[in-house]
Formats: sequence, structure tokens, C-alpha cells
Amino acid sequence: MDSTEAGTEILRGLAEAVVAYDEEKTVELARMSLKQGIDPGVAILKGLAFGMDQVGKLYETQEYFVPELLLCADAMNAALDVLKPHIKVEAQAERHSVVIGTVEGDIHEIGKNLVKIMYEAAGWTVYDLGADVKAASFSEEQKRTGAEVVAMSCLMTTSMLAIPEVIKAIKANDPDITVMVGGAPLNRELAMAYGADGYAESCGSAVKETLTALNRVKGAT
Amino acid sequence: MNDRAIRLLRGESVDRTPLFPFILGFCAKNGGYPIASIYDDPERSFELQSTTHEQYGFDWGPIYGYASYGTWEFGGEVRMPTGEYEQAPFHTRFPVELEEDVERLTLPDPKQAGCLPLAMEFSRLQEKQGTPISIVCGGTFTIAGNICSVEKLCRWMLKKPNLVHKIMALASDHIVDVVRHWSTAFGAERVIPQMWEPLTANSIISSRQFEVFVLPYLKETSEKILAMGVKHMLYHICGDQARNLPLWSQIPMGEPGLCSFGQEIDLYNAIDLLGSRNVIIGNIDPKAFLAGTPDVVYNLCREAIEKGRSAPRGFMVSSGCEIPPEAPRQHVYQMHKAIVDCAKESGGL
Ligand code: B12
Repeated sequence: MDSTEAGTEILRGLAEAVVAYDEEKTVELARMSLKQGIDPGVAILKGLAFGMDQVGKLYETQEYFVPELLLCADAMNAALDVLKPHIKVEAQAERHSVVIGTVEGDIHEIGKNLVKIMYEAAGWTVYDLGADVKAASFSEEQKRTGAEVVAMSCLMTTSMLAIPEVIKAIKANDPDITVMVGGAPLNRELAMAYGADGYAESCGSAVKETLTALNRVKGAT
Repeated sequence: MNDRAIRLLRGESVDRTPLFPFILGFCAKNGGYPIASIYDDPERSFELQSTTHEQYGFDWGPIYGYASYGTWEFGGEVRMPTGEYEQAPFHTRFPVELEEDVERLTLPDPKQAGCLPLAMEFSRLQEKQGTPISIVCGGTFTIAGNICSVEKLCRWMLKKPNLVHKIMALASDHIVDVVRHWSTAFGAERVIPQMWEPLTANSIISSRQFEVFVLPYLKETSEKILAMGVKHMLYHICGDQARNLPLWSQIPMGEPGLCSFGQEIDLYNAIDLLGSRNVIIGNIDPKAFLAGTPDVVYNLCREAIEKGRSAPRGFMVSSGCEIPPEAPRQHVYQMHKAIVDCAKESGGL
């Protein structure tokens, strides 16, 4: 087996181990990839993230459920811990970043956490504020971290009412921040009416939708 | 207080479809009080619910409880809803954070733990006013999630199933303890415990996981409770549980039981699988109360009543989960209006 073949094998192995939520295997293969001289960025993107993408699809088709998804994410994160210190500094500077949380008054956070996992899988830097996040905290955290995206989750029609206010505060500070929203009571129309830049129905499409919204916001300025 | 809902339970004829209350925070707002008073002030809560029910035509009677039940009782902390956007109590610290904490868990004293003294005070008012003695003290899997957080519970299902079984067994025993305590106080035949089970939604766990980790415990708890002499139990099957419904149908809930559904479930499907032994309750989308129009709510109710006609043990209209506290009053009123119109058209009233 030549080295590129071995490399392809490792990347495929990483993806498969993520899908099989085999944490030991992802860590072992991550170490092997470093030894083989595979660029850690490539190992993340073509191995781990590729696997996580499959996982997202399995969740959408109801073959995987939250328990499986969480363990897949754990397997991915364990390997990320091995790979991250080896990512070149310039490459790190290019990473997208997002502040995420569930809005005030709402403790539903399973969906938010799945979306967070998908951002992580796509190589984003995620600042997670948890659940029941006060309006001001979103914009404060955004200012503190300089994140380009703020993503909010809400599962209740009561807490949903907090969203327009948060968006107003974020945009007043910097209109170029991209705001994503999601959760059961929302739909695309409502999201737009609230002043959000993007919406995703499920974690599987969250990253793609965010990138589209990001490009739109950036393109407009 | 009318006994329309109770007559339906007894299989007697009723003049119109009963309207089953899943309306808590709204009652506080309706009376000009903060939502917290529904949960931390039994007397006021009872009063606020009674008057709102009377005003909007709800049957049954006031109830006490919330979905985050279990956290406080097993030694964690909850916060009462005080903020502008808050709808119900929520957990701020779970009793189990580490695996070792599971070993240390003990059964709460139903006389003293968490919200139970408040719930008991509330039930004394139910007794006094002659309404069903009905409080929320479950469901089992949801209590388990409220003990250790849903996510830990999910991870442990695959990695440490024994821990999950241990927590589930404790949650089941606790529910039985609570119902026994209530039965001693009021007589088992008067107690109608409510179990809300949002955490078993198929957007969270699979039906296979439900079968292994949930079903045996629900069956056992139900059997023990019914053996005490309790006649009816209510299960609120929240969220999308279409894949679990055939399994739910194996759980005894009384003669008849009461089964309420989220808007995600098709009522025909619910009636088909659970209607022969249980009164079916449901399932107007809570979102419609806020985002819809009076017509939207009205039509959803008529549709539900229409579907409910085929329920062998009867049907009650309710919302798929709690009616949003901020719902416009006109929208809430549509439930009663639709029920009365349907009854008039079919000669009931
Ligand atoms: C599990 C659950 C709970 C659990 C939450 C546990 C936890 N720590 O998260 C518990 C038991 C605590 C709970 C409590 C309550 N609940 Co609840 N709960 C649910 C249930 C059944 C499932 C939610 C869930 O986790 N789904 C699984 C996840 C994976 O899906 P998801 O959240 O939709 O997320 C996906 C997408 O929406 C999207 N997404 C989500 N967020 C974001 C964010 C962004 C940026 C993007 C792009 C995408 C995105 O991606 C996710 C993955 O694909 C729903 C039913 C429903 N239809 O949603 C009710 C539901 C949300 N609950 C409801 C209610 C009423 C309550 C209570 C008020 C009940 C009460 N009176 O006590 C309390 C409120 C507590 C509080 N203060 O917040 C109602 C809300 C109705 C309303 N007013 O709108 C619902 C809708 C039930 C119903 N049938 O109507 N609940």
C-alpha cells in the first residue's frame, strides 16, 4: 500500500469510526494520521466531518437518534482533541466562529446541542452559552469573541418572543453579524419576519444554511 | 364545577365534548398574577385556574404539576418561572452529575420532597371542591432525564445501560410512593395521577430504546398503581411518538385510562391503537394559539372533534401541550365555541 492509499484508508477509517461511535478507534486513527503526515485539517474535513455528515443524515432518516448522535459527537471530539494542536496557526485564523444558545426562559437544549455538534464537525469555533440565555448575553458574548454568527434556539412559543429583541440588540451593535435561528415553533417565514438572516429546520442542514446566510450578509456589505 | 369529564370516564352520555385543561401560565396572566403563582402558591393557583376554566368552558378542574418534575424531589434544584419569557419551572442543578452520584441516590420522602408538599396542599383544595384529585408525578423516563439530564441519560443508554436501569427503577418506585401517599390521604379511587412523558419523543429516542428502557418500567408502575385501587391514570404522550404508539398500547392506564397526545400525532392513529381502552385527549397545536387566528384554532378544534367521534371510550378536546401563556384570549375561547357549535349541530345541546 503506498502512502496516499494508506492515507485514504485512514480518512475512511476515521469517518467510519465516527459513524460507529467508536471513540478508541477515532483517537487511534487520529494519531496514525499525524504519524503518516496527513494534514490535520484534511483529517478533520475528509475524515471526521465527513463521518459526522453521514451521522446527520442517519438522524434525519430516523436510523440514528439522539443517543447515537451524542456518542458519534464524542468520538469525533476525542479525535479533534488529538488533531487540533497540530493545525497550523494560519489555518486556525480562517475558522468560522459562532455564539450559540437557547433563549431566555427556555431549557430545551437537545436540539441546540445537536446543532452545536454540527458546527464543531464542520470545524467551527463554537462559544456555547447553554440554555436560558438572557438577551444581553448573546450580544455581549458576540462582542467579546468577535464571532461572525450568533445562533439561537427556542422550543416554545413563549420564549420565541424573545428572539426579535435579541436580534435587534445584535444588529444595533453590528449589522454585519449573521443571525441564525431554529427550533420547533419557528419556520423560515417567521425567522425572516423576526429579522434573522437564516433558518434551518434540522441540524443536518444547519451549517449549509449558515454559510448561505453568511455569504448573503457579507455580500450585502 | 361540572362533572362532564367524569361522566365521560364512567361511560355515561355527555351533552358536549369535554374540554380538558392543559392551561397553566395563561390562567395566571388571565388573573393578573405572575406565572410563578401557578407553581408556588397552591391556593392562588387553584383559584386562578378555577376562574379561568369557568370563563373559557374547561371541564375537569385545576391541576398541579410541570414537565421538569423529579429534579427537585431527588435533591437537585429548580427555579420558579419569574422572567418575562418563562413558562414553567426549570431545573438549575441536577441531582446526578457524575456516575458515582447514581449510587448515592435515594428514594425521596413523598411527604416532604421538592414540590410534593405544595402539590398535597393543592390536592386538598381539589378534594374540598370536589374536582378530580389529579397531579403530575411522572413519567418515569422524564423523571430520569430530570435527575441526570437527558443527554447523560442518552449516552448511558448506549454505554452504561445499568445506570439507566437503576435510575428508571428509582423513578418508578418514586411514582408508586407518591401515588400511595395520595391514595392514603384521599382514597385510591379518587386519585387520577398524571404522567407527562416528553422525553420519550422519537425526535430523541427510538422505539427500540423505548421498548428496552421505558416500556417495562411504565408497565410495572401502572400495574402497581392500578393494584392500589386507582381507577384511571393519565399519560400525556408529548411530541412525536408515532413509532412508540404500538408499545404505549401495551401499558395499562385504567378502566378506562386517559391518553393525551401532542399535535404531532394523528388522532385516528391514536384512536386505532389506544382508543379501545382509553379516553383519547388532544391535540390542538399550541403554536396555533399564538401564531394562528381565531379561525385557525376553531377549525383545528372542529377537526379534532370530528376525528374524536370514532373513539370508542370517548374523546376530550385539549391542546397538544400547554397553551402558551401569551395566547390571545379570543383564540383560547375558540375551543369552547367549536365544541358548543359541534354539539348543537349534532343535537347534543
Ligand atoms: C424534550 C422536551 C422537553 C424536556 C426538555 C429537556 C431538555 N433539557 O432539553 C422537558 C421535559 C424539560 C420539557 C419541559 C417543558 N416543555 Co417541552 N418538549 C420536549 C419535546 C417533547 C421534544 C424537544 C426535543 O428535544 N426534540 C429533539 C430535538 C433534537 O429537536 P429540536 O429541539 O426541534 O431541534 C432540531 C431542530 O429544531 C433544529 N434546531 C433547533 N435549534 C436550532 C437552532 C438553530 C440556530 C438552528 C439552525 C436549528 C435548530 O435542529 C435540531 C436537530 O435537528 C417537545 C416536542 C416538540 N415537538 O419539539 C416539547 C415542547 C417543546 N415542550 C413544550 C412545553 C409546553 C414544555 C413545558 C412548558 C411544559 C410544562 N408546563 O412544564 C416545559 C418548559 C420548561 C422550560 N422552562 O423551558 C411544548 C412547547 C409548546 C409551546 N408553547 O410552544 C412542546 C412543543 C410540546 C408540544 N407538543 O407542544 N420539554
